[in-house]
Amino acid sequence: MLVLDSLTVGFGAPEPAVADVSFRLAPGEAAVICGAGGAGKSTLLAAAGGIVPRLVRAQEFSGEIRLGGRLMREWPTPELFSAVGFVFQNLDDQLWNLSVEDMIAFPLENRRTPRDEVRREVSKVIDRFGIRRLAGRQALTLSGGERRMVALAAAFAAEPDLLVLDEPTTGLDPQARGRLASALGEARAARPGCTMLIAEQDAASLAQVTERALFLAGGRLVGQTSISDAARNNEIWRTAGVIAPGEALRRRRPGAVGPTRLAVSGLRSSLVRPGGAPVLQDVSFALSAGEIVGLVGANGAGKTTLFQTLLGLLKAAAGSVALDDADAASWSPAQRARRIGYLPQNMRRVLFNMTVLEEVVFAMATDTRRVADPVIRAEALAALEPYGLADKAEVNPFALSAREQGLLGLACVEAGGCAVAILDEPLIARDRAGRALLGRFLDASEAQGRAVILISHDLELVDDVCARAMVLADGRLAFDGPTGAVWDSGAFEALGWPKPYAQEARAA
Amino acid sequence: MSAAHRLNFFVKLAGATLVMALAWAAPGPYWSALAAGLVIAGLAVTRTPGLRAYLKGALILVALVVASWLLNLSIQGMALGEALPIAIRMAARLVATTGAFFFVMETSTPGAIMAAASAARLPAMATLALSLTFGLVPMLREEFERIADAQRARGLEIDRAPIHVKLRYALARGVPLLVQAVRMAHAISVSFATSGFDPSVKRTTWRRVGLFVDDRIPEDK
Repeated sequence: MLVLDSLTVGFGAPEPAVADVSFRLAPGEAAVICGAGGAGKSTLLAAAGGIVPRLVRAQEFSGEIRLGGRLMREWPTPELFSAVGFVFQNLDDQLWNLSVEDMIAFPLENRRTPRDEVRREVSKVIDRFGIRRLAGRQALTLSGGERRMVALAAAFAAEPDLLVLDEPTTGLDPQARGRLASALGEARAARPGCTMLIAEQDAASLAQVTERALFLAGGRLVGQTSISDAARNNEIWRTAGVIAPGEALRRRRPGAVGPTRLAVSGLRSSLVRPGGAPVLQDVSFALSAGEIVGLVGANGAGKTTLFQTLLGLLKAAAGSVALDDADAASWSPAQRARRIGYLPQNMRRVLFNMTVLEEVVFAMATDTRRVADPVIRAEALAALEPYGLADKAEVNPFALSAREQGLLGLACVEAGGCAVAILDEPLIARDRAGRALLGRFLDASEAQGRAVILISHDLELVDDVCARAMVLADGRLAFDGPTGAVWDSGAFEALGWPKPYAQEARAA
Repeated sequence: MSAAHRLNFFVKLAGATLVMALAWAAPGPYWSALAAGLVIAGLAVTRTPGLRAYLKGALILVALVVASWLLNLSIQGMALGEALPIAIRMAARLVATTGAFFFVMETSTPGAIMAAASAARLPAMATLALSLTFGLVPMLREEFERIADAQRARGLEIDRAPIHVKLRYALARGVPLLVQAVRMAHAISVSFATSGFDPSVKRTTWRRVGLFVDDRIPEDK
């Protein structure tokens, strides 16, 4: 059993990250915590899982947490973390460079479990989570979705009493989310006493394996109800600043409205799949000024290779890329990048300057020394303003939250005035405030004549904001047409994913 | 993964030390060059990952060492014909040494090192330090390359810049690399703690450890 009683956690900001939160989870109960970015979900999980204040200090910590009837602070550290399994949202650090088997076996080895038993358990978990094909590989070679499944498998292998999962569906395609939910269901059935606490904005995908929903806003618990009641109560989601399951915030921009900004023809990647086939084959499409195009495809379909080839980071074996009617074949990646703004899912991957302001100045002038120029400086600050980052101009970008880093990425692309923007799974769009800021960026793009490719597994988001959608399957463009038609296309059906708003349509 | 890659970490370490000793004890430049050549051939035969990048680095190393020794010995009044074999010998020794340890570094995963160290009954803290040292190197190297790609993807002209500008950009990567290394070390320590790691307790391992170390668990038929 997990009991939180008047928990308050602060890190020196005027308002605590978590304020006066109390709830109780029975043994075997599973609850999902919903809230907008910055609502305090991760801090709450870290405290409930014993990380704060034991491993990460907090300036303010009051209230009590009990696990299994025992005060959290009375648990010896190794014993506590044998009883708690934790999967972080950002897995790059959690898995460092171990192999799949190492990661799953690690907690068992720490408990001095005999070798044969560890091997049996690891093998069982690998099969349960359907990751046998990943066996023997190192974490650094896995995709984001694969890493997440491995981290979950590792957390379950330790047979914890409390399992804490921070945004476990991040980066997973709808099919992988389904596999995750099934694996969680099976694991719960195998270990009925395991309590689960999950922070998740896509609560619908885990509805089958959770019983309760807790809603957090501004660090405070603003509501809690059963999952089934939550599905019928849109108001509670709005109070927490989250988009309710099935709630359409549709605002599709018009289709092709200006001259062609990006034209891709017969693109074939030099990168090949294990069987020898190119990762991308005969990909052709064009984007017009102001156009917002959704790109969907399963994990491993070639989306990452596509934008890396567009940027020139990977060589094309055949085909052409033209930007504003100019052939980019001889352009260096830097020359292309001045026309193509790229926002990865994990913004840490493209940040390298020492302050937020320098990042924007670099986007504008590709030289951080221009930060001393008062005009450039003023323009950069103005670019940060709409995204609420002006007061963090001198902060190190790595010290920002993932959400703030995503917003910084939008500010950089807007300030850089790129012809094309590639948004790879913008997680900020998963709450109402973030969706509004994404909408603001798309409006600005439309006004500035920028073409936008939105790569996302969030089909509702694609349906809401894109007039045109493309489906990439096994490296080929299997569909390119109006968003209204994509969900009924053979290419989409072949993915085996549920259509956006399908549950709500059935309910209606 | 080839059998050579699966060799016990300590066997690889001992082998690399032996190769280094032989290269340094070789009686003349031709023998040292032969040792260096054999090491590079060994890296190619065992398909050591990152060989191309290593060879690039080794070429720069050879050029710098030969040039600096030639300069040094000429200043001391030695004729070029006499100085050249000495410079080649020194460069060959360094290539043999770095190549041998490059093989150890590239083919030893942190998990395999942990398993070998646990089987050798090393204290848990020493096991951890060894595997972290070897495990972090590829991560930091990837991070270094990632920062370069990030600079390219954000519009910094690295590829077509003159060598001194490239060098300046490479040095500029040091600061974010350091920030990332510190953050990474903290995150890994939190990850270890949340996995129940206790430095005072001797761990077990899923791997069978002997001359070779298992790299995977065979699937049950």
